[in-house]
Amino acid sequence: MSKFSKGKKRKDPAISTAALPDIVFMLLFFFMVTTVFKEKESKKLEIDKVAIKETIDLEKNIKASYFWIGRVPGKVDDFRVQLDDDLVNDYSEISEYLAKLRKNPEYSQVWGSRFFNVFKVDKKTEMRIVRKVHNELKEAEAFKVVYSVNREK
Amino acid sequence: MAKREVEEINAGSMADIAFLLLIFFLITTTMNLPQVHEERLPQKSDVEFLLNERNVLQIMANKNDKIGIEGEFAEIEDIQKEVKKFYQHKEGTPNMPDYVEVSRKICEDTLESLELALQSYPDAALYKIEQDAWNRRLNACIAFGSGFKTLPNTATVSIQLDNATKYETYMSVLDQIMQGLNSLRDSLSKEKFGVSFSKLNDKVELDKQKISAIRQVYPKKIMKEKNRSVQ
Repeated sequence: MSKFSKGKKRKDPAISTAALPDIVFMLLFFFMVTTVFKEKESKKLEIDKVAIKETIDLEKNIKASYFWIGRVPGKVDDFRVQLDDDLVNDYSEISEYLAKLRKNPEYSQVWGSRFFNVFKVDKKTEMRIVRKVHNELKEAEAFKVVYSVNREK
Repeated sequence: MAKREVEEINAGSMADIAFLLLIFFLITTTMNLPQVHEERLPQKSDVEFLLNERNVLQIMANKNDKIGIEGEFAEIEDIQKEVKKFYQHKEGTPNMPDYVEVSRKICEDTLESLELALQSYPDAALYKIEQDAWNRRLNACIAFGSGFKTLPNTATVSIQLDNATKYETYMSVLDQIMQGLNSLRDSLSKEKFGVSFSKLNDKVELDKQKISAIRQVYPKKIMKEKNRSVQ
């Protein structure tokens, strides 16, 4: 028996895991907040967006229809319009589509105020195409247009 | 000598630290909203407006994306300068619009006569539009604490584009106009309220009034002319 007894063997206290859920939640919330959902992108058209200096934020919680105008991939100068999911063959489809949309009470309530037509247009598009779409919008009395752009620093 | 047993570390405050961090990130992270330029299309109509030439700042872009201001070739950066000149120039400059004087008294008098007119013609839509416009002007006078000068209703920036003009050019013309307009708004805002225009938050009621007041002095008025080929 040694004089300097080490006593009974100490056991390390178990590390408390009570705070683990907090850390996990914290991370969860962090990613929830910082994640920005990618803007709706067109899969059928190639679009190179314009960058301008004076921009405003797009309002949240709006009802909108989405127009894409851009190049058909693989072709040189074939600019086409895509409305929501399909390519437009005849421009009159646009006003017909909007008229149908307006019959829906969800849309008709906000038609004059919070219904937006969101345009994503390729830089090199000629104005004649944009104009044709505008004329269809006037036909359907959907007057609010927003052009999605990149902000130039 | 018996050694003391190591006490278990109290983890109770861990949650506090976690929440502190959470709140810190919640506050400091901002969401990137999609950036847009807003435009309102005109009603479909065949009515032709006859505008006084001096009340119109004409900007053109031809099929080769060359810019013209008031009939002369110019660079795209010149638009900003011309827009500023158009909105803010010396009274009586030739070829520039005359200002309209707006004061509290004028607003109240006009509103009164509109009220009378509405009593006899309660369905006149035009009077109601006028009434709204004058109410906004009256509110602007109250916000500024004084009257102001602004361009007449018919004064407008007009954009003429060729069918073959590129969308990119159209957007940069609009951007130039807005840059010119916003810098005027900015200096007015600093002069009257001591804050820059872009710092005003339209979700705060008081700021909203200020924004509306400044917009009365420098309204965004852009007219697009019908399809036309510009040389």
